[in-house]
Amino acid sequence: MRRIANLRARTAALMIVAFACAAAIPIVVAAAPTVSVQQVAEGLTCQCGCGLTVANCNHPNCEFSVPVREQIDQMLGRGMSGPQVIAYFRGKYGEKILSAPTTQGFNILAWIMPFAAILAGGALIAFTVGRWRSHSPAPAGAPETGADADAGNFDPELRRRLERELRERI
Amino acid sequence: MPLIGQLALALALVLAGYSIIANVIGARASIPSLTASARHALWAMCAMVTVAVGAMWSSLLHSDFSLEYVASYTSFSLPTIYKITALWGGQQGSLLFWTWLLTIFTSIVAIQNRRRNPEIAPYALAVLAGVAIFFLGMLNFVTRPFDLLAAIPADGQDLNPLLQNYWMAIHPPSLYTGYVGASVPFAFGAAALIVGRLDDTWIRSTRRWAIFSWFFLTLGNLFGARWAYEVLGWGGYWAWDPVENAAFMPWLVMTAYLHSVMIQERKDMLKVWNLVLIGMAFGLTLFGTFITRSGVISSVHSFTQSGLGPYFLTFLILVVVLYTGLLLSRVKQLRTRAEFESYLSREAAFLFNNLVLVGIAFAVFWGTLFPVLSEAVRGVKITVGPPFFDKVNAPLALALIFLMGVGPLIAWRRSSFDSLAKTFASPAIFGLTTGVCAFVAGLREWYVMTALSLAAFVIGTIVVEFRRGVSARRHMVSESVPAAIVNLVAKNNRRYGGYVIHIGVVLAFIGIVASAFFKTEVKKSVKEGESFQVGSYDLEYLGINTTETPHLESARARVEVRRGGKAIAMMEPAKLFYKRLQQPATAVAIRSTPAADLYVVLAGIDDQSGLATFQVFLTPLVFWLWAGGFIMALGTVIAMWPNVRERAVIAAAVRASSPLEADAQAVPGGD
Repeated sequence: MRRIANLRARTAALMIVAFACAAAIPIVVAAAPTVSVQQVAEGLTCQCGCGLTVANCNHPNCEFSVPVREQIDQMLGRGMSGPQVIAYFRGKYGEKILSAPTTQGFNILAWIMPFAAILAGGALIAFTVGRWRSHSPAPAGAPETGADADAGNFDPELRRRLERELRERI
Repeated sequence: MPLIGQLALALALVLAGYSIIANVIGARASIPSLTASARHALWAMCAMVTVAVGAMWSSLLHSDFSLEYVASYTSFSLPTIYKITALWGGQQGSLLFWTWLLTIFTSIVAIQNRRRNPEIAPYALAVLAGVAIFFLGMLNFVTRPFDLLAAIPADGQDLNPLLQNYWMAIHPPSLYTGYVGASVPFAFGAAALIVGRLDDTWIRSTRRWAIFSWFFLTLGNLFGARWAYEVLGWGGYWAWDPVENAAFMPWLVMTAYLHSVMIQERKDMLKVWNLVLIGMAFGLTLFGTFITRSGVISSVHSFTQSGLGPYFLTFLILVVVLYTGLLLSRVKQLRTRAEFESYLSREAAFLFNNLVLVGIAFAVFWGTLFPVLSEAVRGVKITVGPPFFDKVNAPLALALIFLMGVGPLIAWRRSSFDSLAKTFASPAIFGLTTGVCAFVAGLREWYVMTALSLAAFVIGTIVVEFRRGVSARRHMVSESVPAAIVNLVAKNNRRYGGYVIHIGVVLAFIGIVASAFFKTEVKKSVKEGESFQVGSYDLEYLGINTTETPHLESARARVEVRRGGKAIAMMEPAKLFYKRLQQPATAVAIRSTPAADLYVVLAGIDDQSGLATFQVFLTPLVFWLWAGGFIMALGTVIAMWPNVRERAVIAAAVRASSPLEADAQAVPGGD
């Protein structure tokens, strides 16, 4: 029995390592941690009318995104940081060029509202559950179904019924 | 043909109107012959719209440029397959196609309910006919597909090159099927509210329709993403564009609904919430159409912009007001004495699952509309693009994946900490070890490590659940493990189909996270015979082949891909030029493997210098997004598959009770 348990443990360990490696290795091999033109260009919206970011504009010879990407490349080459490059373009074209709202003034609402809504939803759940629990029967006896059903506590009639239903369903 | 088509649409409108009146009066006055007549009218309506669609297809295939629609979206040289798909390539055609699907589904519902649901079905059919009236009204009076041109042009204007792609042949039909499919459970929900039959009959009667709709919404989103990946040439598949968002939101809400109805079926709880969810899902399908066609929000996908926005907005508001009023009028009757014992229960896991799913849908909705709000309040036009959606949704996605692992294993009613520890120990260890292994392998991005750990945790819970089922079967019946797995899934297809869907979601999630974090890009200009490196691949530019057809010219570069000195593939990215439209386009070349996709774009050719410019993306694990999507589809098919036990229950119920009761029992609970 012990050998079987060991074998199971080893198989499980091998499975874990295989899964982790399968998922992690291609990522690690491809990883490139430096700030790229693409990453900065993601922060800017293309003004050619495509509706995409400067990074993703799909017009092959776009008159806006192509020169802007070259300009970003040069600016990063001169040692400017990503935020500095973004700030430069914001100064030149205004707020509309940013691909995400700023975190100031009215725009902060864009960022806060989704989480505020989820918190409000959570509060509503807590309130509703509180009301449900107030008229729920006292938690006694075994849970209805699921993981922690303790087979040893079943009375014989319940066990017979369970086995009958298991045969039907499983 | 145009005259036949227009006449058929006019008749369909009249028949839809008649069917509403006959259904409502027939149901209220209990006149079965009148409700039968209403059903016949719906079938005739479907036949009329089919005639109109046939007329349109005939005109498209015969290049009848006397029709404005045919002249606007096709040309003589357009390949036949795209003449067929041009039906949904433009405004009027896509509305006609939508209406056709709606009338087909309405007819099927009418057939399914000939002898079932005598209380609810007439009203559900009336609601569906009401929706059809809106679309038929648009087709008859606002945006007529069969309008003729005063002067017949020598050739048509051709279809937008971006739509001349096989994914575009299947993406819109899938998405529309999903959208229109959602109207069936909505109609039954509304009918249940009208009639006051507020038990779960409407849910059980439309469970398959809901899964069917979800299945096609999943495929529609997936095909759309694949289209963007192959056609737009930027190496990505999802840009959080308003139109993409419009397709994603109903999917999220339908996902919440499919989970939430399980609680109502099992515990008779969340009656109001389920009606709210299906109302939201249907409203969001209309909202999506409004966005696509109104031009209120600029989008790369808005191929059919027009002045239809106000009509869709009015209809959307009307639906929301009427449905909300109906719901509020029944709130008291919908209240049940719900029992809830503990937050450590499956009920709680499902509640939080719904909170997160609807939370994500709200975040997407809010981000999509915020530019309009900003312009209205501040007068400043801003953009809400991928960085916003990525940042807001990233933590919510982790929460959702975590709940996906917890939900299926936790007990109904309540669990103790001890039992939780026992149940979740193996999956939790599996998840944590995966995270540690990823760290040891060199990964440092905390989000990716958390995502991998949670993905492994979910896979672990599904393995535990399968192992339990298989052990139970082998304990009862002596059979091999593969046979036990097959029989387990076959006998409990709804439950295990759900687990297969979860596996698909996890794989797609891994693909999304890896491609979002680790996509690399190389742009290089090279001459014939020169090579450049991308990751571990060497790419050698061998030259250009040019071809010409009556429809387009193409310049196709030949690029040999080598790895470790060994040639492994020949890739042929191309630049296309559509003659009729005088428009250039790009055809990317993709070499996809489970480890990474090599994605090559021919960005430019300089005839003078002989330089060809290539933009190459190396995207790890993105393969798993598509594979995961198809596993989700497979799981949905398993969950929808008719079950022998289920049929036996239906047959027994039909024998033992009235037709109405039989239908209420038609689909057993299960998980």
